[in-house]
This record gives sequence, structure tokens and C-alpha cells, in this order.
Amino acid sequence: MERISVEPRDDWRDTAEAHGFRFHTIDDERYWDESACYSFTLREIEDDIEDPTAEIEQLCFEVVARAVADDAVMTRLGIPEAFWDFVADTWSQQHRNLYGRMDFAYDGKGPAKLFEYNADTPTSLYESGVFQWVWLEQAIERGIIPDGSDQFNSLHEALTGSFSQMGLAGTLHVACCKDSEEDEGTVEYIADCARQGGLDAKLIYIEDIGIDTEGRFTDLQDEPINDLFKLYPWEWIMTDEFGKNVPNTNTRFIEPGWKALLSNKGLLPLLWEMFEGHPNLLPAYFDGDPAASALGDTYVRKPLFSREGANVEVFENGERTVSVEGDYGAEGHILQAYHPLPNFGGNYPMVGSWLVASQPAGIGIREDTSLVTGNNARFLPHIISE
Amino acid sequence: MKRSKSVRLVAMGTGLLLVAACEEAKVDTALFESVQQCTGLGFTAQECEANYREAQRNHVNVAPKYTAKADCEADFGSTQCEVAPQRTSSGGSVFMPLMAGYMMGSMLSGGRRGAGQPLYKSANDRSTFRTGDNKAVAKTTGRTSVARSATQTASAKTRTVSRGGFGAGARSPMRRSFGG
Repeated sequence: MERISVEPRDDWRDTAEAHGFRFHTIDDERYWDESACYSFTLREIEDDIEDPTAEIEQLCFEVVARAVADDAVMTRLGIPEAFWDFVADTWSQQHRNLYGRMDFAYDGKGPAKLFEYNADTPTSLYESGVFQWVWLEQAIERGIIPDGSDQFNSLHEALTGSFSQMGLAGTLHVACCKDSEEDEGTVEYIADCARQGGLDAKLIYIEDIGIDTEGRFTDLQDEPINDLFKLYPWEWIMTDEFGKNVPNTNTRFIEPGWKALLSNKGLLPLLWEMFEGHPNLLPAYFDGDPAASALGDTYVRKPLFSREGANVEVFENGERTVSVEGDYGAEGHILQAYHPLPNFGGNYPMVGSWLVASQPAGIGIREDTSLVTGNNARFLPHIISE
Repeated sequence: MKRSKSVRLVAMGTGLLLVAACEEAKVDTALFESVQQCTGLGFTAQECEANYREAQRNHVNVAPKYTAKADCEADFGSTQCEVAPQRTSSGGSVFMPLMAGYMMGSMLSGGRRGAGQPLYKSANDRSTFRTGDNKAVAKTTGRTSVARSATQTASAKTRTVSRGGFGAGARSPMRRSFGG
């Protein structure tokens, strides 16, 4: 694994716009960054990222199977009691999942270490599946990177393919919140994939969803929503006013309710408890668990529901050395062994490993200049070179 | 090869959540705030009253419905909402905006007489008449031409009794994505 400086395409902004990639620059800060790329060997990709991703997904299923049968685990994961049966039912009825992203610290030397699993609302999908791919094609064509370079990126094929196999019929409603160009870009891409998978896709804002007298969710045209892809976290659905209608509605959600158990930092101590010593897992404990003393006084503290690094704290030798602001934490915390991201010339890459229908489907790398990958991270393309 | 053989987008790059606006056929119609306005434009009192009554009947069915008056007023303005005859499944009150005007069907085109349509005005745009399913129709009363779909009575596929029950989680500052 190497970080290689490369020449940006001189027309990349126009290319981005032409491909509907409007959030390449966010709040005047560069987000898409092709001034460098990461280069992997095929062995690194397959042995160190792809295989562990598939394997950890299976371990996650064991965690879900345990959680749905154990109220104590549901409680530790912060799932409101009113949703225990609902979550369990979505699992026992095998509601299909579409996608997820495992975030790994990987330096090409030791095993990739799972930082967390964004199993519910992962973003950076479009730039991973489409724009990174376009970059590779053009970069080869223009001699920016060597002929024969490849990329671990079957995301687009996997997404369009899985939509045709999810047992969906008619209209898929695709929703995100208002006021986020990045999220709009992501759901617009999801809708595009759904259409290519043979579905009719209709976009709606989360805030505009209605409900009818029979407890069915409705769109702005008062059409019932049968299947809803929502780029909106389950923990918010559960506490929203309409949440109480969710367990009894006929509307089917993607991601399904059981993903709330995985997109939860509580997954990490559960994985460690059940599969302690697994090379791709970091020691992790629920905050307050006496066993957490095994971590000593150097560890990372994360809220159960935190996104994009919010409220993450790093303690080294008992001193808090990093603290990210945010509004999470009331739901509880976990402690995880401190495993700094690798340092490539002052840049700290996080490898996001994609799953589509629970199969590994590619990676996307976000790089930050701080050890906690947050809102200012940039997306860098990658290549496989032999 | 570890990558997709091809990547094709069918719709991206066009307007975002705005569904592609096709050019739609227009029909002639007229908008009124009252029966008097209607007769003042030369229609017979009988036509005007019949249309008004029809619009009022449709109003009950097609007006957006809310379970909280405050939510209705947030969308349509204070004192701009009334109690709807419907009840929620648990017996609670249902609210809907007042009819701000009405639109004749397609009678002006000489075709089959369409149903009188109730019109509304939202709180943040008091100058535009809108149908019950929020299609902007016109900014002034009187004769005008509108998209054919706007003259059709909103289909009551189902009845939405409340909106806005999702999204509270997103009302927090400092966030560029609600995913992650």
C-alpha cells in the first residue's frame, strides 16, 4: 500500500459536473481529491480487505442472531423496548439489506482493523462506485497511472444487480433529509441504480413523508409508500413522532430494522466478546464494563450512535488528547483500543470497505489530516497495481 | 478485474429531487375567490354556484390533512386552518387549510365539464394558488391557462392525515450529511 502523488485531470471539475457529482467541493473545501491516490497490490486487496470484510459480515450476523434473542443485548445497544419485537421480526423474516460500509485502519503491513461498521446510512457511495471508476478509466487513458491498473470497485454492478433481486415490485421510494447536497447526491444515485435494476424510483424528503389513517406512510401525492430506502438513521426513526407507527406499518424499509443492531458502536464490544482475538477486531468494551480495564488508560471513547467522528474522544495515558464536538453521547458509549490510523505524510486514510447484499463490493478511501476521520475528510481514489 | 465492467447512469446529472418537468398540455380555466368574482367575469350564477359547491365538496377530500392544528398553521398560516369532518383512527381531530379559492374545471375549453377544484395558499407563498396536492396553479384570479393535470381532482389514493413526523433527528446543527 502506497500513497502516490498524481496529476489531477485538468478538466475534473467539468467531468464531475457532467456526471452529476455536485458535492465534489463542500463548503469551499475540497472533498474529491485526485492529487494523490492509494495503490494496493491484489494480494492486499483480496487477503487483507475483501476476505476479512466477508468474514466479519458473517460474525455480525451472529451478533444479530444473539441480540434479537436477548433483551439485555437490545438494551445495551440502546434500542427502545417498543422496537425489540420489530427489529427481531425484520431479522426472522429475512428482510433484505442493500448495503453497508466497514471502516478499517489499514497500512499494508498488519491486518486491517475494524473501526466501525456503518451498516445503516453509509454515504460516499456515489464517489466510490462511479466517480472513482471514471477517474481510473481516464487516468489510464491519459497516462496518469500505469496501463493495466485495476480498482477494487464492483459497487455499481452490485447495486444495480441487487435491486433486481430484492423482491421489490412497483415503486421504490428513496428518501433523504433536506439541506444536504451530499445526501441528495447519494439517494439520487441509489434511485438511478434502482431504475437500472428495473424498479420505478421516486425521490422524497424524509420530512415530507406522511401517514394515512391506516398507518401507512405516504408520499406527497398521497400514494402509499410500500418500500422505502431511507438515508436516515434507525435510531432517529425510533425516536421520531412517526416512529411509533413503524412496528405496525406495512411499509418495508431499506436498510431493514435489524441493521440498527450493526450500525451501532455497541456492535464492537459484542464482536470482541464473542470473537476475542480475531485479527481484524480491536478490543472493545461497553463503557462501565469492569473488563474495560484491560484497555488500560489509552483508548478511544465513542458514543453508540455517533456519525462522522462526532463526539469521539481519544485518551492517552489517562489524558484526553483528542475530542471532537457533536451532539451524541446521551445514548451511552463504548471504549475501543486506541489504534491510530496509518500516517502517510501527514494524511490519515480510512479504508471504507463496501458490502452490497452482504458481499464485498469495493473500497473508497477517505483521508483526513487528523486521526479522527470527520466531516473535513477528503475522498481519494485508489488503484490496484501489479 | 476487480471493478465494474461498465458504469452507466440513466438520470443523474439532471435536476435533483425535482422530477423531470415534461411540457404538459395546458387547458383554459378560471380561478375565483368567490361566486361574485365568477359572475363578474360573465359566467352564469348557476354555473358559478354549481362549481363552487363542487369545489367545497372536493375540498373536504383533497385538502391536506393534519392531526395537529399547529402543523397545519405552520404550512398555511395562522387562522388559515379549520377542523375537517374526518377523524383519526383513534378518534382525534383532523385539521385542514381553508379553501383560498377555487378553479373551474375544463368548461372553458368547451369539453366535458370538469369538477370545481378547491385551491389553497401556503403560509410561505401567499401569492400563489395551489391545488390540494401542492401544484402551483396561478398567482391571480380570473381567466388563465393551467397544466391539464392541475385541473383534475387530486386522486384520493389514500388520505394522508399527518406529515412531518420524520426528520426531527436531522434538526441539529453542524452537519453536512445525515448519513456518514
